[in-house]
Amino acid sequence: MNKFFYSKIAANNIKNNSKTYVPYLITCILTISMYYIMHSLSINSGLDKISGGGALKSILFFGTIVLAFFSAIFLFYTHSFLIKKRKKEFGLYNILGMEKKHIFKIMFFETIYTVIISFTLGLGFGVIFSKLFYLILLKMLNFHIPINFEISMTALYYSLIIFGVIFILSYLNTLTQIHLSKPIELIKGNQTGEKEPKTKWIMTIIGIITLGAGYYISLTTQSPLEAIALFFVAVILVIIGTYLLFITGSITILKMLRKNKNYYYKTKNFTAVSGMIYRMKQNAVGLANICILSTAVLVMLSTTVSLFIGMEDLVRTRYPRDFVVSMQNFTDDDVIVINEIIQDLTNRNDMKIKNEIKHQFVYISAPREDNKFLKTSERIGYQNISNIRLITVSEYNKMTGKNISLNKDEVLLQTIYGEIKENTIIFEDKTFKIKERIDDIEAASSQSALMINSYYIVFSDKEIIEEIYLFFANEELEGFSYYYGFDIDSKSENQIQLYNELVAAKNQKGFSGLIESSEEARESFYSLYGGLFFIAIFLGTLFLIATVLIIYYKQISEGFDDKQRFEIMQKVGMSHEEVKSTIRNQVLTVFFLPLIMSGVHIAFAFPIITKMLAVLNLTNTTLFIKGLIGTLIIFALFYTIVYSLTAKTYYKIVSYKN
Amino acid sequence: MAILEVNNLKKIYTTRFGGNQVQALSNVSFSVEKGEYVAIMGESGSGKTTLLNILASLDKPTSGEVLLNNKKITAITEKEISAFRRKNLGFVFQDFNLLDTFSLMDNIFLPLVLSGKNYSEMTKRLNPIAQKLGINNILSKFPYEVSIGQKQRAAVARALITNPQLILADEPTGALDSRSSESLLKLFEEINNEGQTILMVTHSVKAACFAKRILFIKDGEVFHQIYKANMTDEQMYQKISDTLTVVSTGGAKNE
Repeated sequence: MNKFFYSKIAANNIKNNSKTYVPYLITCILTISMYYIMHSLSINSGLDKISGGGALKSILFFGTIVLAFFSAIFLFYTHSFLIKKRKKEFGLYNILGMEKKHIFKIMFFETIYTVIISFTLGLGFGVIFSKLFYLILLKMLNFHIPINFEISMTALYYSLIIFGVIFILSYLNTLTQIHLSKPIELIKGNQTGEKEPKTKWIMTIIGIITLGAGYYISLTTQSPLEAIALFFVAVILVIIGTYLLFITGSITILKMLRKNKNYYYKTKNFTAVSGMIYRMKQNAVGLANICILSTAVLVMLSTTVSLFIGMEDLVRTRYPRDFVVSMQNFTDDDVIVINEIIQDLTNRNDMKIKNEIKHQFVYISAPREDNKFLKTSERIGYQNISNIRLITVSEYNKMTGKNISLNKDEVLLQTIYGEIKENTIIFEDKTFKIKERIDDIEAASSQSALMINSYYIVFSDKEIIEEIYLFFANEELEGFSYYYGFDIDSKSENQIQLYNELVAAKNQKGFSGLIESSEEARESFYSLYGGLFFIAIFLGTLFLIATVLIIYYKQISEGFDDKQRFEIMQKVGMSHEEVKSTIRNQVLTVFFLPLIMSGVHIAFAFPIITKMLAVLNLTNTTLFIKGLIGTLIIFALFYTIVYSLTAKTYYKIVSYKN
Repeated sequence: MAILEVNNLKKIYTTRFGGNQVQALSNVSFSVEKGEYVAIMGESGSGKTTLLNILASLDKPTSGEVLLNNKKITAITEKEISAFRRKNLGFVFQDFNLLDTFSLMDNIFLPLVLSGKNYSEMTKRLNPIAQKLGINNILSKFPYEVSIGQKQRAAVARALITNPQLILADEPTGALDSRSSESLLKLFEEINNEGQTILMVTHSVKAACFAKRILFIKDGEVFHQIYKANMTDEQMYQKISDTLTVVSTGGAKNE
């Protein structure tokens, strides 16, 4: 036999199965190049020069691992689907006199072609575009450092190893599939009559309950720290609920529709309902997968894009002023010293201080029960812990320029987080009347980062504060804490220089406390959130490809099954138009059901996500809504394009005249 | 009065790139009276299936015309054709063509649902037919749950439920064992005796014995025809076999 025989057959097979092979090849190429790009970026030496570059690199590296993991799953899944579709073909070879080892040989060549095409194009695109993505990454992170572009041998090496293993596993899977099959079964393929799925009420109810519980958590969680803890519980509940509802709930609903004779026996609903019952049986898991994947994509992209766009906001929220100095145990003399140092350094650097906020306060933390702050050593939930800053009224008047006087049993209250409804506040056994609720203590916003109950309480004099402190901290008050925030009109480099000088001076004096500069922090913010956004784009793309691919293959394979069904219907008297509209409705439902469901998920997840974003300093909800809607529109648009392409292919397959 | 009239039907298939032409029907003319039971016989490739497809309005002839109740079905527009088919024709196929996603009842209802009938009317129509065909206690079962004989009965019920002018049967016994065949053919005979016009294409001599008239088709033309009249089944069987021998050995045309 001609020694090129098998390789020729293999090449022909790829050509003849192009409808299913081409999407697979494209997926291989895309995942390989994405992996290469991600990996080469994560080890790019240029990133070391950035502040926060280390963190960025580890984020990227983590992304690489996730990417590799999902690529492996998708490619393997796609390939096994491809093989299942071709069982009939293998059966034919078998009957025509080929032994299984000959089929193995053909499949071997097909795999070799796939590997060669995928690696050449995948790595080729990877190398070409990695430079582009490197530039995009730097642009996103706002860095201007010289580009050192390199072809990463390590990344190449790992791409070859990882995807090589995936291809080998796929090939082995093919071999077992062929090996285990008998020719007669191969020929028959999937023609065995399928049993109608049963209604499972209990599972449906469990599905509704888990989904409801997930939603309930999202809607009712108040504290952001709780939100972080409960988010994953909610996610798992929703995932379980989604699967159960897609698998059993859909069938329950459809069967209920079928029981309703007046609804069911209508031309429009008749074929659709019965068709969907079978469709859901085969597709429920696939559709649930799509739903979960698209939800993941949407959440990932919308949050990271909001964080990224809201970066400036975010830095401002975290650092209300360019410089924030907070010192502990300060005497009045210490305050004068630090103010002089700051004055001195700024004058020397020719900088102007603006928008000053200064105040002295005492900080305590105590669990709160309604309007009562308790002294207790018992373990209590973090959601009850409150941060309280105590300020004298004279300090408050100095800050705001007001002229308020308080009696000994009166206080002013500013609530940052965690409302107190009562008109009094009780510190263990002392009751204070809330004279007024205020909101003009400016440093307040910096504490929103902590997102636990926090209050500013203004008292009539220092003695009361000292007394309360003694009671809660069990020690004499050594000195007040001092908070000093200011803006500076100067370039970023100068601000960072000033920051370094300030820190040096502080250490020299031996003050205990913190000096923060928003400029200094900005870079690390950019590395962190920019890096996350970048990864979200990559993973989002991968998930999107996976989603599209699952849908495409589902439709194609069903097209072949449905072809016969529609032929019969046309013979019995269904018109071409009716067939067309039935197909359109079915495809539409299958396509958009998961998308609608993930839209619902996101709507319910919205409250909890905003709370989590608040922990990450993003308090601008409008921005998040915009980001979410933007992502949703882009996603839906992409989805619709894929839908129309698939629907066309599907219709071509099922339409009566070949 | 002729319920179906076929005049000078001709069908030429052209291969996709306009190369070869195959003449499936060269010149077919015949007519079927109301209440008749006609079988069409012929070898593979004689043009039987093409003829049936044209009668079923699934295919269009190259030339010639088909009249059903004096209405030219070859001239009906694409839009109306499905509704026309639903109203006037009932089909019984060799491989039943039941949808596996529907219960037997829903399969039988399919043409009525497509015509927009309401549920109570559908059940009213179904009951007597199901009774007659002996399938009234398996109506809620699915095609994969019943025997082939029962499947074919359901298919017959689907053909009958619209009260069609004409039932077209394409090798209805082709997939059945001899006992199921026998009972199906008896059923056809019974239905025919109640006045239903039936046109059946078949290979099987035995199936053809039940018809009142048999047309033989060869090379795209009506070659010969036999009336059963008062012949017994055995005599009829003999006569058909003889005729088939003549047809296949290429004897001259005789009337």
